Amino acid sequence: VISKFLLAVGLAIVMAVTGVSSYVYLGSRQSKATAPVQKPTAATPRAQAFTLPGTIYLAQAGALYSFSAGRFHQLTPEVGWTQPALYPDGSHLLAVKRSGFFSDVYVLTTYGGVVGQLTNNAASPRNSWDIGANAWSFYPRLSPDQRTLWMSYDGPKYAGAGYFDVDMAVWAIPVGGSIQQGRAWTVANNYTGGDMQPIVVPGGIIYTKYTYDQNGNRTGQLWFTNRAGSAGRALTSTDASCAQPSLSPDGGSLAMICTYQKQVSYLTIASWNGSGLGGLRTMITDQIVAQPTWAPDGSGIAYLAPGGPAAPFQLWFLGKNAYNPPPPPPVPTPSPSPGGPHNEPVPSPTPSPAPVAPVVKPIQVTFNLGFDATSPLAWLG
Amino acid sequence: LTTITLIVLAIALAAVAGGFAYFLPAAATALQETGQAATVPSPSPLSILFSPSPSPSPSPISQGAFTVLLLGSDDDSKFSADHVLTQSMILVRVLPATKQVVMLSIPRDLYVHLSTGGSGKIDGAYSYGSAGAAIATVEQDFGVHVDDYIWVGLLGLIKVIDAIGGIDIVTSNPVMDDYYPADVFSNDPYGYQRIAVLAGPQHLDGIHAMQYVRSRHSDLQSDYGRSKRQQQVLQAIRAKAKLLAPSDVPALATAIGGELKTSIGLDKVARLVPLAASFDNPDAIQQVLLLPPYAHSGAPGGSLTPNWGLILPLVHQYFP
Repeated sequence: VISKFLLAVGLAIVMAVTGVSSYVYLGSRQSKATAPVQKPTAATPRAQAFTLPGTIYLAQAGALYSFSAGRFHQLTPEVGWTQPALYPDGSHLLAVKRSGFFSDVYVLTTYGGVVGQLTNNAASPRNSWDIGANAWSFYPRLSPDQRTLWMSYDGPKYAGAGYFDVDMAVWAIPVGGSIQQGRAWTVANNYTGGDMQPIVVPGGIIYTKYTYDQNGNRTGQLWFTNRAGSAGRALTSTDASCAQPSLSPDGGSLAMICTYQKQVSYLTIASWNGSGLGGLRTMITDQIVAQPTWAPDGSGIAYLAPGGPAAPFQLWFLGKNAYNPPPPPPVPTPSPSPGGPHNEPVPSPTPSPAPVAPVVKPIQVTFNLGFDATSPLAWLG
Repeated sequence: LTTITLIVLAIALAAVAGGFAYFLPAAATALQETGQAATVPSPSPLSILFSPSPSPSPSPISQGAFTVLLLGSDDDSKFSADHVLTQSMILVRVLPATKQVVMLSIPRDLYVHLSTGGSGKIDGAYSYGSAGAAIATVEQDFGVHVDDYIWVGLLGLIKVIDAIGGIDIVTSNPVMDDYYPADVFSNDPYGYQRIAVLAGPQHLDGIHAMQYVRSRHSDLQSDYGRSKRQQQVLQAIRAKAKLLAPSDVPALATAIGGELKTSIGLDKVARLVPLAASFDNPDAIQQVLLLPPYAHSGAPGGSLTPNWGLILPLVHQYFP
């Protein structure tokens, strides 16, 4: 009787353990596609496999992070921070802090401490009843002399106006001044979302203008303008649908993304001579590329792209040999040899195949993270 | 020997029980949400007028083809249950033989004869008579046969996208809206919020994907532009769903519980899953929008006047 009792108890325990194990096992077999992203400071494996020069500033889940010597450091809490940009002298950061109904540009130390607020886009208390009286500021950049703030801005807003058309224009305001002291440099196309992501180049700005093409599709175009309020001129076609410009450290090339009005995003490079673009060179076509950013030392381009199909965005790096291959080694010319004892012509040497440049593949720097792909990277050399 | 057999049987039974417990929520949801019959009223004279004559025998290409009406709705507290508008209506034709899909977005503001009587915006059909009325309206006005329907509520779309870990989208332009309805996760169903879905490639969670597909105030193409975005998101969901494992199903079922209804039975779902996975060519998915001159503004109450002379040949080309 005792042995039967023990057998029953033992069996019950084994059954319970087996049932729970079966349940837990099935739970552990969930696909990685649904796994939540990790914080950069807690990611496994930690991003130490590949070290990039200098420090890159990125945004994830409303926090700013720095990445240097293969390590991430969290600079701000997760409260809506995005779109870091460097002061030209590298001393400070600009960044956007997004709240529910508005966003503002702040100055931060490179360690994330808030130094000051450059815009004030919340509706005034007397207009707070109208959410349309709030404004957005995005994509801040400073002029080389650090006295002018460039940004995309959807104001000025008037309470009760009831605008359904919200378009951003590129504005320039003096650092420390108010929006009333600023000027709109571009005139946005209606019902497009407007003009975004300005970058300061010698003699003007390059920015992404959203527009309707001849087929009624909304698409992005790079534009250049050198005067406030001037129309400027388009640098790329509506068909190419390019956006997110980034100027190389030597000022001679522009990196961008081009989507050709499809659910793709190609890393594209073109030469820039100060007034016009050369032909578009597509560098990466098998990834959804976002926010290409040149290394300050010219060693390559960092960008964001999914770590796998339909996955969150990771940090990637493309070495410069991919778009600027070293010149091939000189082909040794065969020294002519005398005809020898017979009178036949000297056989022409068999042409050796032209040296083929090795295919340079991009390197995935991070795994398991989920960077904000609408936030440009800032790279300090 | 009997004891050993008993032990083996007990362990096997326990393992099966564990698996059953794991998949129980999914099974319960599947039983509850699928196979919901839609009562389609008998055809009105109009439907007879517009219905194409049936082909004597299906061509090899259309072998096994079927048509599903996708319905997306407000399901917030502005409306009582089952009396909601369908903000999104997409007619999907699946051709398994050629692995092709055609998606026709029906403008929500299209002014049509409703199957329940009278005329009005087509998005009201569901509110007057649930899925059956929506199907009957589409069938009678567009002259097509709808095999099944899938209805998803606002929260359902958000939860589905979150449950699959988000989707990758290349947004063609910034989607800005100062008066976007704040009717989800809000105590005030008539409130507004400002949204700014920035342009470019990005990984969207459910809330932001919903903002991307739902906003129409800052789109010159209004509902047409929104239809394009809806089709983009549907394709992104499909791309992500292909990566899921069977073990993901319970979490997904828990997420969408109560936010999805379909007439497709479980047996058909089981057949469709491998079929959907085999559709791997994005170019084989054709998107059709009823842009002007297929419809134009000017109908009562800000609705759109359909140009049936153009719409019906187009529809019958893709939905024979």
